[in-house]
Parts: sequence; structure tokens; C-alpha cells
Amino acid sequence: MDFALDDEQTLIAQTVRRFVDKDVRAWAADADRAGAAPPRLTAVAGDLGFFLDAVPEASGGMLDGPYSHLRRAVRGHELGRGCAGMAALLETNVEPALAVGRWGSAAAAEALFGSLSAGGLATTARDSRGTLDISRDADGLRVTGKLGPVPALGTARHVLLMARCGDEPVLALIDTAGGRRAPFVPSGWRAAAWGTLTLEAASVPAAMILARGPAAADATAEVLTWYKVSLAARAAGVAVSAMEHARKYADERVQFGRPIGHFESLIRLRDDADTGAAAVRLMALHAAWQADRVKDDSTRAAAHDAASRARVMAGDVVDRATVDAVQILGGYGFVNDYPVEKLMRDARAFAQLLGDERFDRILAVRAQQGA
Amino acid sequence: MDIFHNNPMLAGVRQMLGAFAKQQIRPIADQHDRDESMPWDLMKMAQGFGMTQTAVVDGRKALTGKDEEGDAAKPKSQARIGCAGSEELAYGCAGICLAIGGSGLAASPVARMGTEEQQQEFRRLLKGDDDHGHIKVAAMALSEPSTGSDISGLSTVARPDGDHFVINGHKQWITNGASASVYVVWANTDPSAGRAGVRGFIVARGTPGLVPGRKETKLGIRASETAQVHFEDCRVHKDMLLGGGATSEGLSDTKKMLDSTRPMVGAQAVGIARAAFDYLVERVQGGTMQGTPLAHHQRVAFELAEMEMEIQAARALVHKAAWMADHNMDNVRMASMAKAYGAKVAQDVTSRALTLLGEEALESGHPVEKWYRDAKIYDIFEGTGQIQRRIIARSIFGVNPT
Ligand SMILES: Cc1cc2nc3c(=O)[nH]c(=O)nc-3n(C[C@H](O)[C@H](O)[C@H](O)COP(=O)(O)OP(=O)(O)OC[C@H]3O[C@@H](n4cnc5c(N)ncnc54)[C@H](O)[C@@H]3O)c2cc1C
Repeated sequence: MDFALDDEQTLIAQTVRRFVDKDVRAWAADADRAGAAPPRLTAVAGDLGFFLDAVPEASGGMLDGPYSHLRRAVRGHELGRGCAGMAALLETNVEPALAVGRWGSAAAAEALFGSLSAGGLATTARDSRGTLDISRDADGLRVTGKLGPVPALGTARHVLLMARCGDEPVLALIDTAGGRRAPFVPSGWRAAAWGTLTLEAASVPAAMILARGPAAADATAEVLTWYKVSLAARAAGVAVSAMEHARKYADERVQFGRPIGHFESLIRLRDDADTGAAAVRLMALHAAWQADRVKDDSTRAAAHDAASRARVMAGDVVDRATVDAVQILGGYGFVNDYPVEKLMRDARAFAQLLGDERFDRILAVRAQQGA
Repeated sequence: MDIFHNNPMLAGVRQMLGAFAKQQIRPIADQHDRDESMPWDLMKMAQGFGMTQTAVVDGRKALTGKDEEGDAAKPKSQARIGCAGSEELAYGCAGICLAIGGSGLAASPVARMGTEEQQQEFRRLLKGDDDHGHIKVAAMALSEPSTGSDISGLSTVARPDGDHFVINGHKQWITNGASASVYVVWANTDPSAGRAGVRGFIVARGTPGLVPGRKETKLGIRASETAQVHFEDCRVHKDMLLGGGATSEGLSDTKKMLDSTRPMVGAQAVGIARAAFDYLVERVQGGTMQGTPLAHHQRVAFELAEMEMEIQAARALVHKAAWMADHNMDNVRMASMAKAYGAKVAQDVTSRALTLLGEEALESGHPVEKWYRDAKIYDIFEGTGQIQRRIIARSIFGVNPT
């Protein structure tokens, strides 16, 4: 077992950290207030290899060989330190691109990779409560209902949808032109161009269905694994960022004749947050490592379980860490001049996106029990 | 303990303010949260209903119809009424509750320490409308940029100068700080005496040298204004020194003032928790998960059970603290427990409700999202969660808690 990052992972971490410290953190507060990422983000991040890193080289992207979720988790952790909203935008193409590369038809690949290579975005949505109305339509599907709110859907051309048609799981690529897209104003991740997509008996041709039935169940488990690993890695980064701000403040702020960082109760808050962030980072890296090694049913299930556990912890840890960072800053923590109230708002999506992780875990056990 | 019985007076307050919260506050809460604006029209209406800006000074006569001053030894009902009412208003919107009641922070030291003339002056300064046609409100300016929890470190100075004091200093995070018509400001009249020199002054808006400052953009309670206030060679007549100086206990009085409002602050936090709880119950009753009613899932149902336990426990603490105050018992420990536990429950309940609601509640201004943001202040102002625990712990060990 080796916990050290290899040279390439180290280089990625350092490069993204520089980008975060120089640009992302500088842009974060304005992007949060404006509810949009700065236009420069696309060019700067594009140069660093974001957006097209999961698109095959042959289709205009940068992926040559297998995708590394471990590398993605390493960079996600750094991005989380910068801005959760911008991080979500920079990571949004990965799941659709990987899924279409793995399971998509030539037509799906052409549609998605064509759009992404031209600078378009794609996103991922999941009907976690089973409220979409999906029926068979010849070889394709008809979909009625609302997708999202999810990040990037405000501008994305395609959505990778995980849902069910009756009892049958399906994984499909939805063209947003077939529905009504509406922007969505979120509380956190405000730079992430959120949106919803309302579909009314929208037809999804067979060529855009990536998988159905048991194959779709497996594919969905993998997509969720990727997504949750990435979420957990970013969440750990947000928690780290919250505590960086809190530590700096606690070292300087004096009450009762000493820096507040010397009070045991605040040391405890910070230590718990640091411990949680370290645990989530390791869990995310471990789940990513497993995701890179999926080769059969059992490794797929193990990777998904690890990713799901990482995300349960991530949701709790980032919530606690950011709330406690606000607490440590006291009255200053509550006002928008200081960065921590944004972090507290940003923390919520990690537990709320794509459904309630604890519920997922319970339902998974019940499914195994045949309930 | 009458909270467990049907106390008609408390039931009446609950009913009246509960209806006011649902019918008048809820419909406008989202708008004022978005605009970060004070609900001036509603505040005027509330004033008409007896929720006056001077209620604390008036002994809540307006609400109860009874004058409760007089025999100091007799049990009162003020604290319990304050708690029952605060919970209901905060159930509607904590920010609006604070907008309606924010002047109480200033009125409470005036009621506690002010002379008869000062109380009259305070009432006079709050009569009628201000230049914008808004009702007049008051601000209590204690905290400073570098002094929040440790109020003995105040650096605002009131230098005696003949019949006047000249006040210099900066105040931070002051509720109603930009709009107030009257300020109760705390300043040190004798820095060489340390905390013993701290006194309160009534300062009218428009007094030269009193400069309302920048308004803050906040995480929550956005319908309640928070602003800086600056004092630059602000001359205040010595008649406006609270209690005339001689009778005032200075800073320890300030601390007592905070003790007396703590159960009410805890009650507001309970109101937020209850709002989120009720919202969730309604959504759960209508919702399904993969075709099964949500309420049939223990994942959801037991969370609600847990929330209900926490809310009831927090409310019981609040009412015990208030009941003790009404019965002239020392309630410092209980008041801190009520405030700190209320804050914890409001944060826990709103956070867990958000997780259960999922993506829909990520929207800015979704009721539960807003309540989650509002809840956080209850662990910060009026003594942070740490300061409350410090008080409780000291009291456990028999050390003077404040
Ligand atoms: C919206 C809002 C409205 C407000 N309204 C008013 C108002 O109307 N009038 C007014 O005067 N003030 C007001 N305040 C100020 C408020 O009372 C202070 O913010 C609060 O007392 C905390 O002080 P601080 O912000 O300076 O934090 P600090 O005192 O600097 O505390 C920072 C952190 O250190 C912790 N800490 C401090 N001392 C200890 C200790 N001994 N042990 C352990 N931990 C400790 C605190 O708990 C906190 O976590 C308001 C604040 C806000 C945000």
C-alpha cells in the first residue's frame, strides 16, 4: 500500500492549487454575488485541460487511454479549496463524456463530443425519487417531467439522465433542445449556471439510450460512483478552505486577552473539522482508486459502496466545518465581506444533489434483502 | 409550571401572534430576504396591534392590558409572554420578528436602568414617523469591531466635558444601526477604571457626531438591518447618561440586560425549528419515494420524531427560563441553556430538513433554505454558543457566571 501521490498526481495537485490560489479564490466572491462565473474561467481552465479531459482524443478531446478517477479526485480536492460553484462547472462534462464514450452509440458520441469540442457543456441528472413519467416509444423513450435543478443545466446542451422506465433502469443522453430550460438561482455554488429542464412527452431516440435494464443498473452504479467520488473530494476541499480561513482569523482575533484560537472549545471545533476533512479526502481517494479498478460486478459494487460512504461523510463533514468556520468568525462570519458565509451556503449541495445518500444506502440494503 | 397547563393568557398570545405570523409575515418573508429590506409597512401594522417599539419600557402593558410594574416580589408574566410571542413571530420569519422587536434591545436597558425622565425621553424619541414615513426604531450599540464577546474590552470612550460627555468610537453589527431614531450606546467614561467605567447613553438621531454607517449584507435574518455606527466627537448631555450614572452598575447591568432577553432569543430559535419541522411534515405527507409514501420510510419518519423531541425539549427549557424570570428567580444558567440549546436545535432541524428535501431546497429563498441561514445567527448574537456554555459551566462550578 502506498499513500503517496505519484509524480503526475503531484503535478496536477500543484498546478490546480496555483490556479486556485491565483485566480479561482480571487474570483470567488464576485462570482457568488453575480451568480455567474467570470467569462475568463472557460479560457483559463480550458488551457489547463478542463472540460475535455474525459472526451476521447479521436473525438476532439484529450483522453488517451483509461480515465483516472484518482487524478480527478486529487484535482477536485484542490478545486474545492477554491470555489465549489466554479469547481462544479469545471467538472460537469466528465460523467456525460465518460458514459457516452463507454456505452454510447456512434450517434450519441457524435452529438455529445461535437458539442463539447465546440465549447458546449453537459451535465448529469438523476430521478432519485422516481417522479419522472417515462414510457416506451417504439425503440426509444418518451419523457415527461422536470430534470434538476442541477449545476450547468442553465446552459448545457446535453444531460446524462439516470432514471427508470417502469421497473427498468435507463441511462440516456437528453438533448436539452427538446425541452424547456429554465435558469435556477441556488443558495450555494452560485457560479455553476444551474438550471432545470422541463420535458413534455419529449422523445428520446434509441440511439440516445446508453443502456437499459440490468446493463443500465450497472452503468448507473458506475456513473454515480464517479460523481460521488468527485463530490466527496471537492467537499473535503471546501472543508479545508473553511478551516484555513478560520485558523487565520482565530490566530489574529483577540478576546479576553488572548487569540480566540487558544480557547480549547475552538481548538476542538477546528480539530474535528480537520479530522473530518482528512477522513473524507482519504475516503474519496480510496473510492476513486477503486473506481479505476472496476472490472466485474463485485468490484463495481465495492467502488460504488466506497463512493457512497465517502459522500455520506462528505455531506456531514463539509456542513459541520463550514458552519463552525462561521461560528469561529462570530459576527464577521455572518456577513458577506468575509468568505465563510459563502462556504456555509456552498456546503449544502454536497448532501442534497442527486438525492439523499443515506436513503440510497438504506434502499440498497433493502434491495439486497429482496424487500 | 403553567406551560404544561392551559394558561389562557399565553394561549391568547400564541393564537394572536401565530395568526399574525401566518397571515401577515409569511407572505412577505421571501421578498424581504431577497431585497435585504426592513418590512416597514408590516412594522407599522404590528405597532398598531400593540407590538410597539417601546413595549419593553411600557411593561408590555399594550399587549396584556395590565401594568406589571409595581410589586417587585409578585410573579409576572412578561417573560413568558415574550417567549410565547417571539416563538410565534419567528415561526413566520426570524428576520421580520427581529425587525418588529429589534428596538427591545435598546428599550431593555432603558427600562432597567433609565430614570423616569429618560424613559419618557426614550418614548418621545420613538413617537410618530421618521422622515421616510416609517415608524421610529431604536438601536442598542454595544459591540465594536474588535470587541464582541469580551465587552470589557470596549474602546468607545465618553469623555466628561462640563454638562456633556463627548463620545468617540465605532460600533459594529448594530441592529437597526442605519435607520434608528434613537441609540442606546455603551461607552467608557473612565478608561482608567476599566470595565467599571462603562455606561450607557441615550443618543437621538441627528445629534452631531452620530454617524450611522454602512449596512451589512448577511447570511440570514436579512429583513433585520445590521449596520455600523460611528461616534465622532458626539456631544451628549449628561442627563442622557442612563440611570444618571450614580445608580448604574455599568457593565454588570449590561450583562443582566442580556440575561433577561436570552430566553426570548431561544424562543425565536425554537420558532425557526418548528417552521422547518411543519414544512417537512407537510411535504412528507404528500411525497413518495419510488412509489412508497415517504412517511412509511423510517429514514424519514424517525428523523421527524427526533426533530419533534428536540423542539419540545428546547421549548421546555425556554419556558422554564422565562417562568423563573417571571417568578423573580435567578435564571442565568437556565437562560443560557435555553438560548444555546434553542440555537443548536434550530440549526440541526433546518439542516436535516434540507438534506431530506434534497435538490428542491437548494434554491435560494426556498423556505427551509432561508430558515437554515436564519438559524445560524442564534449561535452568534446575544452571546455566542461558546459564551453561553462558559456561563453554564461557570455556574455548574459555582463561579459567578457572568
Ligand atoms: C446580525 C447581527 C446583529 C447584531 N446585533 C447587535 C446589536 O444590536 N447590538 C450590539 O451591540 N451587537 C450586535 N451584534 C454583535 C454580536 O453580539 C456579536 O457578534 C457577538 O457578541 C460575538 O462577538 P464577535 O462577533 O466579536 O465574536 P468574537 O467575540 O470575536 O468571537 C469569535 C469566536 O470566538 C469565540 N470565543 C470568544 N470568547 C471565547 C471564550 N472565552 N471561550 C471560547 N470561545 C470564545 C466566540 O464564541 C466565537 O466563536 C450583532 C451581530 C450580528 C451578526
